[in-house]
Amino acid sequence: MKFFSMSLFARQLGGELRKLFARKRTYIGFGAFFVLECMVLFLLRLPKAKAAIRHMIDGAGYDPSEYFSGLTLGLMIMMWTVFLLGALYLALVCGDVVSKEVEDGTMRMMLCRPISRGRILLVKAVACAVYSGALTLFIAGTALIAGLLYGGFGGLFVFSPTEHIFALYDFWPGFARYLMAIPLLGMSLFTVSAIAFFFSCTKMKPAAATIITLSVLFLDTALKAIPFFASYQNWFLTTKMGVWVHIFEYSIPWEKMVEDYALLTAVNITLLVIGWQIFEQRDFKS
Amino acid sequence: MSDLIRLESLSKSFRGRPAVTELSLSIARGEIFGLLGHNGAGKSTTFGMMLGHVRPDAGEAFVCGYSVERDRADALRRVGAIFETPCFYDYLSGLQNLRFLVSLSGDVSEARLREVVELVGLTGRIDDPVTYYSHGMRQRLALAQALLPEPEFILLDEPTEGLDPAGIHEMRAMIRRLRDERGLTVMLSSHLLSEVEQLCDRVAILDGGKLIFSGEWRQGPTQWRLSLDDWAKAAGSLDRYVAESNGEIVELRQGVDIADLVSELVTAGVRVRGVELLQATLEDFYLGRIRK
Repeated sequence: MKFFSMSLFARQLGGELRKLFARKRTYIGFGAFFVLECMVLFLLRLPKAKAAIRHMIDGAGYDPSEYFSGLTLGLMIMMWTVFLLGALYLALVCGDVVSKEVEDGTMRMMLCRPISRGRILLVKAVACAVYSGALTLFIAGTALIAGLLYGGFGGLFVFSPTEHIFALYDFWPGFARYLMAIPLLGMSLFTVSAIAFFFSCTKMKPAAATIITLSVLFLDTALKAIPFFASYQNWFLTTKMGVWVHIFEYSIPWEKMVEDYALLTAVNITLLVIGWQIFEQRDFKS
Repeated sequence: MSDLIRLESLSKSFRGRPAVTELSLSIARGEIFGLLGHNGAGKSTTFGMMLGHVRPDAGEAFVCGYSVERDRADALRRVGAIFETPCFYDYLSGLQNLRFLVSLSGDVSEARLREVVELVGLTGRIDDPVTYYSHGMRQRLALAQALLPEPEFILLDEPTEGLDPAGIHEMRAMIRRLRDERGLTVMLSSHLLSEVEQLCDRVAILDGGKLIFSGEWRQGPTQWRLSLDDWAKAAGSLDRYVAESNGEIVELRQGVDIADLVSELVTAGVRVRGVELLQATLEDFYLGRIRK
């Protein structure tokens, strides 16, 4: 027998994804972002909100009518909402992926099969990555479509005071940057999935895995916000996760981005390996 | 018959409390073997160690000649299992559940899938979501998933739990059929001793995690209840044929058939009104062992 059969792995992954996407809670994240985007677009119709954005572009010396566009709105929706809401739904789904099966007893059914525990986890981890990617694509895609429907075609205005980014692009260069940002954002968001997955592998209830994952992220954000720790900003996990925004700088800091994503990847792999080792040692009994 | 299952000095403790201690037993190919014990006696832990769900502290379990700890995939390749409460993905159909579980084992043809579904009598409902299944249907689906990899050995943990009398009868008949027609080896645990009694010749009894009996439970001499009109006239015949007697209840000498005794009594002019075979029940045997 072959050590690793790709076709068997593909079938197992297909089954895992079917299970994942057959559950209603998997779609809560998609639904929530859709509602959020509709609400943002509705609120942007309010005169004061519209004026505030126009004032920001105008204040920078550019023509608001050119840069108050679908691309700008899409990016705004993505930048302001993705970590708070995205983290919530990724933690909800990926925190469930192992622990819910243990709680429901279906994990024991799986473990009756001649499949290693490592293989089960690998299939589940890839399914989490697929879900993270799908949610990222959905958020970025629908934010852009919603933005275009509301603001139409036009240049991209980027303003991120925390990351010291201020940039303006015509539509096509802006669109290219927007597309490049999607996989980077996906990689950042996968860290949330990896944390949730790690806790899901330990002996805890699914809800606890979700709550603890969110607590880790909120704790990181809260510590980062304390002014005395400003010099250590770069060491916080959420700072590293926010590095995707730098793709919108005129001169992309590739060195910094590679370094930060290498660190995030190392964190993710470490979490997955520790989670796997914990799962390997566990006893499963009714 | 060769041993298909071998447990060698298995021990397991949970938080310092021993759940199973030095358990050794073997099950022959084609046998239906019962594992008995009170709640908490260590039955589920034993099953868990046989399936690799529970890591033993010491000892080793061998299934089909492979160590469950060291060669898990080979050991479980021809094994099916059913647990007391069959757990499935309720939001998927029965068929989708089977397909998913099968994908973990390797390849099973569509024809084999359909054959097993028909065997367990779920053909008409296999495309319905499992959430709409009754307990009996879930048990059938559990049996289907256990049979799909064409197992040599099936492990049944409380397979009749929650089933109605018809369901229990059906499950019992199915287990027998699987052994007789397909040569499957079965290990089952159940609190319904009458069920175990009808299916198993050999049982193991666990008490507090320790094996207190393993072997044929019907090993004692057969007893008969005689109804005679004249016990004094029968005394001579009884002396020659009976090893022990207690009132109307007698145990025959080795090699003596009850027909020989009846014939002798009739020849001696004793009217035999009735002869009743007194079978020891597994319940009596089990309680007797536990109380010792």
